[in-house]
Amino acid sequence: MAARGLLLASIYLSLLVHECYGVTLFSSLQKTLQVTTTTKRGQVLKAGEDKLTITWGLNQSLAAGTDSAYKTMKLQLCFAPVSQKDRAWRKTEDHLNKDKTCSFKIVEKPYNKSLQTLDWIIESDVPTATYFVRAYALNAERHEVAYGQSTNDQKTTNLFDIQAITGRHASLDIASVCFSVFSVVALFGFFFHEKRKARMSPQK
Amino acid sequence: MEVEGRDMASIRGDTDEPRKFDLPVDSEHKATEFRVLSTAAPHMRAFHLSWVSFFSCFVSTFAAPPLLPIIRDNLNLTATDIGNAGIASVSGAVFARIAMGTTCDLFGPRLASASLILITAPAVYFTSIASSPISFLLLRFCTGFSIATFVSTQFWMSSMFSGPVVGTANGVAGGWGNLGGGATQLIMPLVFGVIRDIGAIKFTAWRIAFFIPALFQTLAAFAVLIFGQDLPDGNFSGLQNSGDKQKDEFSRVFYHGATNYRGWILALTYGYCFGVELTVDNIIAEYFYDRFNLELHTAGMIAASFGLANIVSRPAGGMISDITAKRFGMRGRLWALWVMQTLGGVFCVILGQVGSLTASIIVMIIFSMFVQAACGLTFGVVPFVSRRSLGVISGMTGGGGNVGAVLTQLIFFKGSKYSKETGITLMGVMIICCTLPIMLIYFPQWGGMFCGPSKNITTEEDYYLSEWNSKEKQKGFHQSSLKFADNSRSERGRSRVNTTTIPPNQV
Repeated sequence: MAARGLLLASIYLSLLVHECYGVTLFSSLQKTLQVTTTTKRGQVLKAGEDKLTITWGLNQSLAAGTDSAYKTMKLQLCFAPVSQKDRAWRKTEDHLNKDKTCSFKIVEKPYNKSLQTLDWIIESDVPTATYFVRAYALNAERHEVAYGQSTNDQKTTNLFDIQAITGRHASLDIASVCFSVFSVVALFGFFFHEKRKARMSPQK
Repeated sequence: MEVEGRDMASIRGDTDEPRKFDLPVDSEHKATEFRVLSTAAPHMRAFHLSWVSFFSCFVSTFAAPPLLPIIRDNLNLTATDIGNAGIASVSGAVFARIAMGTTCDLFGPRLASASLILITAPAVYFTSIASSPISFLLLRFCTGFSIATFVSTQFWMSSMFSGPVVGTANGVAGGWGNLGGGATQLIMPLVFGVIRDIGAIKFTAWRIAFFIPALFQTLAAFAVLIFGQDLPDGNFSGLQNSGDKQKDEFSRVFYHGATNYRGWILALTYGYCFGVELTVDNIIAEYFYDRFNLELHTAGMIAASFGLANIVSRPAGGMISDITAKRFGMRGRLWALWVMQTLGGVFCVILGQVGSLTASIIVMIIFSMFVQAACGLTFGVVPFVSRRSLGVISGMTGGGGNVGAVLTQLIFFKGSKYSKETGITLMGVMIICCTLPIMLIYFPQWGGMFCGPSKNITTEEDYYLSEWNSKEKQKGFHQSSLKFADNSRSERGRSRVNTTTIPPNQV
């Protein structure tokens, strides 16, 4: 069992060494990590305010030694298919260099065998969309070697919504209205002034 | 017909003190020289006011595209929303340009342009508080109305500059204004970056950034109102009061513009030089980003260079128009326009076919030079199509430009029917086809591309005075057309101007 795990790991290592200059394909990654999020169905989290609790780590049921190459762990916030529709800038590609599914980094930490938990306050630049969480394990060359995600392979279960901040402020609203009114009033002021000047100038 | 500096006593005989102009002028007091570095009132000052205000409108109208990666996340836009907003941004100006042309004919370019700029400024201020795809689309639609100031720019230049330099003046003013579409791709990300570095979060920083183009637009309009002047002799309202300029009738002005078939042909062909330019402004960054996998800011810089080529290419078009006119008259202007625009179409076809990044950039730059020069050349012809309805013709041509942009984006660049490269190639074919109607333009006094001037001796007076009926002529409303006809004799080309005798003034 251990030998098989080691063999698998070393095969993947050699494949990845070969692909050092090339691209890592998502389909070539092993799903050895487990990720869970404590969100309820239909729950909408607010960016900048609410917390997302994530638990992640190596799938304990796997053989020891599977994780021999893992040096760093990266947690990312990823778009669910419904939020990728009609938005080519969030497209899923097998080549990880071109993949835009997971655009937001939650955290990056050195690899730890045991299960970890994180309370992450959702950052203010996260857009309104439906998400899941994915963890990547990186090797010493910082290439992805394994992954795990909080949803199933079809990305249909256990998704959660985040509501973005508007970015608007009362001061901006007031400034917009004031400047707009000023522009239009100034225009009519000019008209009035022109008409008065024309009336006062001598007519021939 | 050149008068050095001093004013000639007016034909009426009831002028005030003689006016001294800093530039040499003709009998209508239009400048016969174009000195770009001067700010002499009223001619060069009008030039600088008009191109700067038009530039500000272009900056505002195309301020959203470079910031779209942030805006689309903030407002939750889909690709369809973005495409529709892009089409909306250029469709408002279709009718606004025609309305603008008529307004210029009736109220003068100074009031017309400043009014439009100040009325659309609120749309730019309100972009800061947009909150949904619908509001975004409506705001881009309303902001897009402001680029109708193109018409007032061309009208103003045609009123201030005489035949031999009108193409150059129109070309430089139009080109330097269009520059705004390229400059904004550099300005907005820069302003956004500065505001974000000061401490604002992304979704607030882009909102604050929009105040910059909005304020620029407002101040430009104030400058036009305070420092600008409609005509070399004064403003429309002043001249109308003193009796030097007649207040014209809207229905007659519109009728003479709309029934001149040359205006319609130029509207179509302008749709396939300027309309193509607007379309490319909207799609080219994405094209380079997707096809060659560039970084967004690299794609943005390439996109900016397309618009920035306007600094020389459109003025060059205007100058080429004036230079060919010196030797070949109006026929030369028409030939030059047809050649440049057709070559633009050819390079567009090539652009869709090349596969390497370097070749694409080079072909795109050559394509931009030809297409923008064609825009300049078009407005070397427009001032001569009508004198009474100059504004309406300018408006129709300008509006036709925007119609071309809407049509091209709808047919080739909406949805996934054609890949972008196929769309670009097909757009090039359409340019070549829609440029052919230039062959149908014919001026009886000067000729057309293939035919010489009419066998029955037709003069410039016959052509321009046909826009006035006998009642109006009796009241003397046609005097400015008479002067213009006299000044436009240079459009005969060198050979005919020297040999033919100038007919006596017909009243």
